[in-house]
Amino acid sequence: MTTSTLPLTVGDTIPTWEVPITPTLVVSTAISTRDFQDVHHDRDIAQAAGSKDIFVNILTSTALVERYVTDWAHQRTGHWDTEVRGIAIRLGAPAYPYDTLSFTGSVESVEDGVATLTVTGSVSLGDHVIGTVKVAV
Amino acid sequence: MSAAAADTGAHERIMAEAERIKALGEAAEREARDPVNQPTINNWLEAMGNTNPRWQAGEAPPSMAQVWTMYGLGGKPPADDPLHGMMKVLTDEGYTAVLGTNCEQEYRRTLRVGEQVRVTTALDSVVGPKRTGMGEGYFVTSRNTWYVDGSESDAEVVATMLFRVLKFIPRGAAS
Repeated sequence: MTTSTLPLTVGDTIPTWEVPITPTLVVSTAISTRDFQDVHHDRDIAQAAGSKDIFVNILTSTALVERYVTDWAHQRTGHWDTEVRGIAIRLGAPAYPYDTLSFTGSVESVEDGVATLTVTGSVSLGDHVIGTVKVAV
Repeated sequence: MSAAAADTGAHERIMAEAERIKALGEAAEREARDPVNQPTINNWLEAMGNTNPRWQAGEAPPSMAQVWTMYGLGGKPPADDPLHGMMKVLTDEGYTAVLGTNCEQEYRRTLRVGEQVRVTTALDSVVGPKRTGMGEGYFVTSRNTWYVDGSESDAEVVATMLFRVLKFIPRGAAS
């Protein structure tokens, strides 16, 4: 038996993390993921396309889910060794500037050395992202 | 029946094209513009507010797998790209709008600075027409596979992604 490096119990909850969505966050994250679709940086074009404003891109939703889980694992263990094996997300309400993206999560299962965490990121319009993160334990 | 379904041939044409494109398998292989590199990782870390020190010590964040092979500013998919090919089929049949609905990534290992990544795209499934809150549409799922070629070994799969979009006729659109 190997010793688990991330001690988790089914039902453990991850403390809420609130991310203020700013235009700078939307634009800087989109560009840093090399996503140059105009709806992520040009409000005029986003609004002409029927959107309220520019909005967070999918690669960033995934990256923020990843950060939520790995930051928590670090707080929990004091190290950064947690290995993320997969992130599966379903997308809902858009995340617009001047809103807040609030992440909540919990441990759904732990088996065969892999923990599955459920994570939800909500905005004022509803759930922006619902998903699972698999980490090696 | 919906506007699109009034054209009784549309669904048959869409599904025939879906079968043809699925049969291409993994196609439209592309190399990342740059090898996995620290400046690109640093830009991403700053934007995401990610302070994990592993990403400044030779490894890349798992969820950046897709970043390395993004098209970039002005980049265009190759003509044989299965996802964009299927998008065009649906656009031509009146399903003009698109919305990302699911993204499922699996990571075999972290990438390391200096590694050159390439990606393939396959059409996984086309399901529809479905009535949704957004309007009538088809769910199109593609599968990306990222590879690193070893110096002595065969190509190594480092990450995969299932990506689903709804390609739809916006509600209220003129029929």
